[in-house]
Amino acid sequence: MGLLSIIRKIKKKEKEMRILMVGLDNSGKTTIVLKINGEDTSVISPTLGFNIKTIVYQKYTLNIWDVGGQKTIRSYWRNYFEQTDGLVWVVDSSDLRRLDDCKMELDNLLKEERLAGSSLLILANKQDIQGALTPDEIGKVLNLESMDKSRHWKIVGCSAYTGEGLLEGFDWLVQDIASRIYMLD
Amino acid sequence: MEDDDPSFATETLDPALQKKHHDMLERLSARHQARKSDSPDTSSSSSTLESTSSFLAKFSDARRSIESRIAESRFVSSSSASSSTDPSKHKSDLADISVAINDLEKLLAENSYFLPSYEVRSSLKMVSDLKQSLESLSAELIPKKKFSFKSKSTNKKPEPKLPEIQKPDVVSPPNFLVPVRDSPGLRNKHGETLVKSFKGSSIGEFTLSDLDSCQVQLTGTVNALFLHRLKNCNVYTGPVIGSILIDDVEDCVLVLASHQIRIHCARKSDFYLRVRSRPIIEDSNGVRFAPYCLDYKGIEEDLKTAGLDEETNNWANVDDFRWLRAVQSPNWSVLPGEERVSSVSISSNADS
Ligand SMILES: Nc1nc2c(ncn2[C@@H]2O[C@H](COP(=O)(O)OP(=O)(O)OP(=O)(O)O)[C@@H](O)[C@H]2O)c(=O)[nH]1
Ligand SMILES: [Mg+2]
Repeated sequence: MGLLSIIRKIKKKEKEMRILMVGLDNSGKTTIVLKINGEDTSVISPTLGFNIKTIVYQKYTLNIWDVGGQKTIRSYWRNYFEQTDGLVWVVDSSDLRRLDDCKMELDNLLKEERLAGSSLLILANKQDIQGALTPDEIGKVLNLESMDKSRHWKIVGCSAYTGEGLLEGFDWLVQDIASRIYMLD
Repeated sequence: MEDDDPSFATETLDPALQKKHHDMLERLSARHQARKSDSPDTSSSSSTLESTSSFLAKFSDARRSIESRIAESRFVSSSSASSSTDPSKHKSDLADISVAINDLEKLLAENSYFLPSYEVRSSLKMVSDLKQSLESLSAELIPKKKFSFKSKSTNKKPEPKLPEIQKPDVVSPPNFLVPVRDSPGLRNKHGETLVKSFKGSSIGEFTLSDLDSCQVQLTGTVNALFLHRLKNCNVYTGPVIGSILIDDVEDCVLVLASHQIRIHCARKSDFYLRVRSRPIIEDSNGVRFAPYCLDYKGIEEDLKTAGLDEETNNWANVDDFRWLRAVQSPNWSVLPGEERVSSVSISSNADS
């Protein structure tokens, strides 16, 4: 039995999905994870390492890995690539100055072979801020249309403050992963 | 930091590795079971401490064993008469060590949710160091094709050309398809006093950039504030509801209040802060911290709106992301009381 079938078998029993959240520092990853988990988001420090949250979502158990995005931490991202089912790339839509950094880091990530099979959700966060770029504009800046055809991806505008867009994004992600992994159910 | 995983570590067809992965998944699911059956409030400090210390014991055992395996491999290879030991033996030793390092990393990952952040950071650093030593070991044991100069050219050319260092692919500057608009802000000023009130405005994010020798006064609340390339400036701001992102400031005095404050590349600057979470610095030095000290008419109400009406004393809980040791970072300090400015009063009825 190959490794993949072993993983699938175990995952199937548990209905587990492994989700990796990355993005530049300050984009709102930790706030998003706490918000979907219904926790208090009023006191969050920049992430010095990573957090893991296990969230039951519909009939699935999501293991969400929220990894810090400060420059010093970015070199550790690749330690978490293995067995990632879903990749969530979070963008601060109000941070116009660093959009090129954001594009560069995302492009590097998508070159990563170990992430090749994962579904990609891009969250254009902080839509509640007046003056933030729309998801369409972010999609153009990141040049998403030119992405490898085999990649399943979607961009959704959201706000970790109001919660708007988060469910839409995660619904898509979970369905997309489920349709690949649990197809045989 | 830019080290790559040894390529054989990611080979997934190796049956030993398969088993490791399998075991890891088993452990993961066992952990979930264990956590599910835990009562919700098991976060008593004693149980956490217990787990932290047992984690540390386990982690350092595993780490020591990896270190000694690396040392052993190095010793064996250097002491064996010929360096022609079977390279495939070397390869399998290296692969074993690499698997052990991956396991160590997973141990850390699985336990990180309860570990204090300092432990997480220093453990991450240790894992990364192990990878580095493994990599240099593998470079020693399995040398790449030796670079040799052709004897023919030696007499003609006294200095052989060094092999050119390969440049990483140059990322072409992003070509924005959308005209990225500038956010509202104050830019490119020299020697001016700049005053702005957000009261009654719908501004969400605001930028101060490329200011030299200016005094800036911002009153009222805003959602996000970006400070970029400020030199020799005094900046006084009312509370920010989201975060303040600071990049490249020198010789400044900044009086700021915000949910989060992130400081990058700051030199010789004093920060007077009120902040709900821990302020952080990265690539900075000579920065000093003191409590927020701004006053203008209506500030109490603005602080309340932003949830910053209480002094948390977080201004002194600075995390230096470049500093991995438990001892105080040399890059920042608390501003001594006698050097602090006393309360700063500014006017709130600036034109907007
Ligand atoms: N207005 C607004 N602010 C947000 C939103 N999401 C996050 N923030 C704020 O943005 C700042 C950064 O949020 P974090 O969740 O710490 O960001 P992060 O991506 O986890 O950052 P790192 O851990 O350093 O990688 C905080 O001050 C949040 O309050 C949002 O949807 N709207
Ligand atoms: Mg975070």
